[in-house]
Amino acid sequence: MSAQNRMSQVSGHMSATGKAGLTEKRPDDIVVTTALRTAITKGGKGGFKDTPAADLLHGAFTGLIQRSGIDPSFVEDIAVGCVLAPGGGATEYRAAALAAGFPESTAVKSLNRQCSSGLSACVDIANAIRSGMIEIGVGAGVESMSTQYGPGAVTEFSELLENHETAAECKVPMGMLSEQMAKDRNVARKDQDKFAAESYRKAGEAQKQGLFDQEIMPMKVKWTDPKTDEEKEITVARDDGVREVTEESLGKIKPAFAKNGSIHAGNASQISDGAAAVLLMKRSTAERLGQKIMGKYVAASVVGVPPLLMGIGPWKAIPVALEKAGVSKDDVDIYEINEAFASQCLWCANELGLPLEKINPKGGAIAFGHPLGCTGARQVSTLLYELKRTNKQIGVTSMCVGTGMGMAAVWVAE
Amino acid sequence: MLEFRTAGFNPYSVKYSPFFDSRLAVGAGANFGLVGNGRLFILNLTANGIVCEKFFETQDCLFDLTWSEQHENQLLTAGGDGSIKLFDIGVGEFPVAGWQEHGREVFSVHWNLVNKGTFLSSSWDGTVKIWTPEKKESLMTLPVHSCVYSAQFSPHHPEIVTCVSRDSHLRVYDLRTKPSAQNHMTLAIPIHAPPKISTPGFGQTSVGPTECLTHDWNKYRDSVVATAGVDGVIRTFDMRMPSGPVNVLPGHEYAVRKISWSPHLSDVLLSASYDMTCRVWTDGSNVDQGGNGSGLGREMGRMDRHTEFAMGVDWCLFGAEGWCSTCAWDERVLVWDVREFMRTN
Repeated sequence: MSAQNRMSQVSGHMSATGKAGLTEKRPDDIVVTTALRTAITKGGKGGFKDTPAADLLHGAFTGLIQRSGIDPSFVEDIAVGCVLAPGGGATEYRAAALAAGFPESTAVKSLNRQCSSGLSACVDIANAIRSGMIEIGVGAGVESMSTQYGPGAVTEFSELLENHETAAECKVPMGMLSEQMAKDRNVARKDQDKFAAESYRKAGEAQKQGLFDQEIMPMKVKWTDPKTDEEKEITVARDDGVREVTEESLGKIKPAFAKNGSIHAGNASQISDGAAAVLLMKRSTAERLGQKIMGKYVAASVVGVPPLLMGIGPWKAIPVALEKAGVSKDDVDIYEINEAFASQCLWCANELGLPLEKINPKGGAIAFGHPLGCTGARQVSTLLYELKRTNKQIGVTSMCVGTGMGMAAVWVAE
Repeated sequence: MLEFRTAGFNPYSVKYSPFFDSRLAVGAGANFGLVGNGRLFILNLTANGIVCEKFFETQDCLFDLTWSEQHENQLLTAGGDGSIKLFDIGVGEFPVAGWQEHGREVFSVHWNLVNKGTFLSSSWDGTVKIWTPEKKESLMTLPVHSCVYSAQFSPHHPEIVTCVSRDSHLRVYDLRTKPSAQNHMTLAIPIHAPPKISTPGFGQTSVGPTECLTHDWNKYRDSVVATAGVDGVIRTFDMRMPSGPVNVLPGHEYAVRKISWSPHLSDVLLSASYDMTCRVWTDGSNVDQGGNGSGLGREMGRMDRHTEFAMGVDWCLFGAEGWCSTCAWDERVLVWDVREFMRTN
């Protein structure tokens, strides 16, 4: 063992990267011992169309307790990312935690940083552990776009905000501004469709091979058949947004936001329902409790960009996170960059010079959906399982954030 | 040039005695230090070349050594098994004292040059420990949280300790400060930070953080430290303006394993690299020698007789100002005069 360690140390000296320092194991590392998600289903018609967000979260929580085998009373805090719930969902998520088996002593909060809410929740818990505020926590994310998507999610802007140019731009719908960005940054429709078709293909193949089964916690829910109005109990264990498409079939879809536009239902993220949860603690704690370590959280970044260019968020956030982690972009094996729109994801990847085969190797939000608050936590399980499966180590999760922000985090699988 | 073969052992470190101009010690390990025994060689420079006066066997590779500043026959070794051992050349075949606290390989040991009663060690376990020969337990443990390749006392002050580590930081500790959350740390300088003044021929884009393997305090300028590591670049830092390197000396093709400032000239240093060369540099600070302050350092010469990774260098403290010793994985210790390898320009 020690000979092997010394050998890999010497070989590490032969290539000039910060990788060796990053993959070192230390007792105060913040590690992930369980990361899972529910299936992600189509908004308005999928398996979770009649399931409230809190119930989805309850499913992720019970799955987390069951799979990790952790004594729920050890969990001191839970952060839940969500975007659309009125009141942030704070009340019903605390209730969901209690119903799932967490005792009263486990605190719960909800937080909202738009599409990065799930990642913000995980990072928030990791930082609380690192600072010593808590010892064990759960970062989670949930969204029921079926039941909570709509105009009610944004409050009417005041006169003051309307009269401020940049402030007023925060209100421009994602689709419209992404359409403009695709035009300004010259991302051709053909390239977007190609990228989207690849996402569908990769997700379809992964689904066929059952690769998502590792991370998905099947859930029994009530579902009303739209044809017969009959309420049944169904088990949801598969992402139902994944379907067979080709670049050509996507090429026929009409643009959604502008007549001569390039963005349409097939090359943008789907409206979906889903939940995800990540159990975090120090390595020393995990070892003491006999928790199996999947990987560790290293560093995260959050940046601001112009509201109308929110899609470039990952381009700005990823280099900052890499700098904090002390590695170069080439050291990273897998990038999970949320596919809000094929146009912005592709632009960020090209601009950063990332090879496409390193990006979303099992597909992304275009293929299986983007339940807003859930996505950031969902990416953690997708990333860590894929790194492990392919015997790789370093991964990045990132997303653009509405109103003009970007977030990224660096993870190491073990 | 004089040569000694450490047959069957690959040297990691060579050090001149601070008491005798003809005495050298070499720390080595079998099988490139990966697995197997270690050996400490005590060598004498004689009219008949280099002669091995004595050697000590150890259970694991010796990654570093330092001569005692108190006793001319004693020296300390850094063991792969986490042990630190004190050997006395006049006493038998076993160490006269030993310390075992580190959980992993010890990579460096250094004797305090000012307060000669203490020494330190640094280890892969992510700590630096301060010791005194009189006590079995360490006096102090400084947590670094990253594999510490090299640690030193300042040659100018007995309570200032520096170390460099895998995480690309140069840390400075002042042991006089009150113990606190910082554990005596007063500075943590990112080694990969951009230089204050751009260096001609050195790309503006740093490769980012890389492991830092070695560092050394300048013997004359009491705020200057040089570092080097996996990116093959030697950098100098001035503690009075610690945000980035003052001077950058690129040139080595692979990692630099060891650097040492000259005990005679304030601007000259010597390096040993995985590219098998040992090179002499000026950081350009010596105005009398044509230097112009920061930014204009250069390579002055190189010695490429080693045929494997060069691991150790040390300057002779005595006599004329160019004599040095180097060791490499080619199982050889070479004693040579850098002036013979200087380029004339």
